[in-house]
Formats: sequence, structure tokens, C-alpha cells
Amino acid sequence: MKWFGLIATVFTGILLLSAVPDFAAFGDPDSPANGGLGDHPSVSQYYITDTYTDTKVPNIVTAVLADYRGYDTMFETVVIFAAGIAIFAILRSFSGPVAPSHPTAIDTSVEGDHQRIIIGTTCRVIIPVIQLFALYVVAHGHHSPGGGFQGGVILGASFILVALAKDLSAALGRFSEKRYLALGSVGILIYAGFGLLCVALERNFLDYEILHRIMPATDPIMARSHSMLGVEVGVAFTVTAIMFAIYANLSSKGRLEQGF
Amino acid sequence: MIVPFDIIILIFLVITALISLRVRDLLGATMILGVYSFLICLLWAEMGAVDVAFTEAAVGAGVSTVFMIATIYHTRRHSSD
Amino acid sequence: MILDLVAILLIAAGLVFFLGAAVGLVRFPDFYTRMHAAGKGDTLSSLLVVLGFALHELRHFDGSADVVVFLKLLAICAFIMLTSPTSTHALMDAGYEDGIEPVLGEDGENALTETRNRRLKD
Repeated sequence: MKWFGLIATVFTGILLLSAVPDFAAFGDPDSPANGGLGDHPSVSQYYITDTYTDTKVPNIVTAVLADYRGYDTMFETVVIFAAGIAIFAILRSFSGPVAPSHPTAIDTSVEGDHQRIIIGTTCRVIIPVIQLFALYVVAHGHHSPGGGFQGGVILGASFILVALAKDLSAALGRFSEKRYLALGSVGILIYAGFGLLCVALERNFLDYEILHRIMPATDPIMARSHSMLGVEVGVAFTVTAIMFAIYANLSSKGRLEQGF
Repeated sequence: MIVPFDIIILIFLVITALISLRVRDLLGATMILGVYSFLICLLWAEMGAVDVAFTEAAVGAGVSTVFMIATIYHTRRHSSD
Repeated sequence: MILDLVAILLIAAGLVFFLGAAVGLVRFPDFYTRMHAAGKGDTLSSLLVVLGFALHELRHFDGSADVVVFLKLLAICAFIMLTSPTSTHALMDAGYEDGIEPVLGEDGENALTETRNRRLKD
């Protein structure tokens, strides 16, 4: 196994290194990223100069992620969803309660509660703030660093913190299996729904400009900005749900009962 | 972008990566991988890619460390090779 | 000017405490004393450094000071004050549950003086 790993690593390394000569030289002003090809302006220059006039979004990274490269981001979200579904499919077992495999697991009996009162109190104070911050990161992703992925991870981490501070069943009481599976799917459906809505209005997939027809009181530019927010919310839903789903299944061997 | 700072962080990156490969205790290796993620986060923040640094801090150093610890808890703590 | 000086003093004091925490982490003999050094030193030093940054943000009195950044840094201070001692406590608790023995000398004399004597002998 060790040798197989070494061979695989060396082989992949050679493949990756063989692509290095195809890169443009470091700092080459004529490379496609820096100088563009022929008469066309370079891609990065276009983003830097035209993003704000195109979309009214000051954070260029969010605009590139959710608008110019929206198709990529949609499938990134799908990849995260697929990872969660794969872990669910491998680990989740419905065989009912079993004896805890680790008797040394952090017990949550009365004695355990007594010792963890400090951690529980601090988490009770801090979890609402974490969730508020996560929502701020999602909603403010246009103007400051952040967006659906980061906000979703922070929101999912707040539920993981509930599971760590109390136990998994307390976290599952707040965010049950049915809910996280539904929320994870709904996130992708929101993202794809925005794309299909554009198709329904006779534009390309994820070409948000046309959505100003169905959004009240917006022009095409603001429609792009608002659609980005909607798409980010969808990403945040999926990432939140899948992060918590992965943790819940990993920490309890898929039984969602004895976890810590 | 401050080049000496970059070089120091990159040296630390290589050191932490090598240590995390060599350590037998998987829990320790996970912690060192968390340090590795924070160093990458620092590097990206220093290069001005704040969004990526944010993602790395949340995903790489935060959640994935928790996932790995949750996995180690249910498997063996010590690596056999 | 004075605010700048205070900020520099705070940051320098924070760095001194960071150094103390690092030295304690390396030199102390067992888990509990190491966590003591790391937890206490880390909390105070990060508080001092972030407070120094916050005051540094307020250095202009002509109205161009970024009060929002100042308030955000104060909020970070509050959260450090909440979370850092709690995480130290959680780690200590986990170590205690795991049965890590503190290092003690034979007559209840703790190992710090023991190692100190040994180092004096060497």
C-alpha cells in the first residue's frame, strides 16, 4: 500500500510538473491573464475596470464567482452536495441503537453536565453571535470579503459547536436529519432555479440581466447584483446543511445517536 | 506583497507539511495540518486575496480539522506506517 | 501622538507576554503547567495587541478616524476574553478526563524546582 501510494504520488507529480512549461513566465505582460491576446483586453483587466459598471458589486471576487463564472460555482456547490451525499450513503446506518463502542466517550449524564457548565454557558452566549456573523457574511458578500461558502461553513460550524458543547442529539434537535437533507437540496435548487428562470425568459443559463423583468423596481444592472445575493443564499444553504451532515455522520458512525 | 515575509511563511509551510507526514500520532498530525492551513491563510491574506484567506480559515483550519478529529476518534489514533 | 505611544506600548507589552507564553510552553514540565502558560499568556497578549490596534485606528482626531473598525476590534477583544479561557478550560478538562498525571516531585515538591535544581547541577 505504501509503495502504491508512492508510485501514485510520483506519477501524479510528474504529470503536474510536465504542465509547468506550458505556463506563461512569471510576470509576463503578454500572457492571457495579464495582457490579453491580440486586440482583446486582458481578462483580469476587464474584471477590475468593468465589474462595477456591469453589476454594481464592489467586491470583484464575488462578482466573478457568482456572475461571470456562475456555472463553475454552481457545480462547486454540487460537488459539496455530492460529497455530503456520498458520506451519507457510506456511513449512515439505520440499524437502531447499539451499545456505545467507546465507553470513554464524553458522557452527558448529570455528572458530565456538572463539569461542562462553563463550556455550555460560553457556547450559549457565543453561538447566536456566530450565527449572526454567518448571516452577515452571506448577505454582505458583495461589499466585503465573504459569500455563500464562507457564511455557510460558519453557520454549519455553529451547529457543530452545539454538538461539541452538549451532544449530537441536542444539535440534531435543532437541525434534524430531515431538515438538513431538505436544506441541502433546496440550496442547489435555488441556484439552478435562478439559471432556469433566465432560460425561461429566453436568455442563457445564469444570464441574470433579464431577471429585472420579474424583479420589481430593478434595472438590468441591479438585477445582476440581486441575483448574485440569491445565488449566494442558495450556496449557503447547501454548505451549511452538508457541513453539519458530514459532521453528524462522521462523529456517530452514521447512527446519529452516540456521537459526541 | 512583502517578499521576505512570503519566503518565511513558505519555509514554515514546507516544515509543517513534512512534520505532519512524519508524525505517527494522527491527532498531532491533524493539529499540524491545522497550523499548515492557518499559514496558507496568512499567506493569502498577506497577498491581498482576503476572500480565499477567509475560506481557508473557515474550511481548512476550522471545519476540516474537526472532521478529521471526528474520524480519528472512531478509528485508530496511531498510524501504522 | 500620545494615543500612538499608548498603542505602541500596548502592542509591545502584548508581544512580551507572547514571548512569556512561548517560553512557558517550551520550558514547563507537564501538560497542565504548559496549558497554564499558553492559556493565560495567549489571552492577555492577544487582548493587548488587539487593543493596541484598536487605539491605533483612533489616532486621527480630525474626524477621519474609522470608528467602525475601532468598534469591530473591541468586539474581537470581547470574544477573545470569552473564548480563549473557555478553550483553555476545555483542553484542561479533556486532559484531566484522559488521565494525564501532573508531574510532581517525591515530597510533593513540584517538578519545576526539581528541573531547576537539575539544571543548576549541570
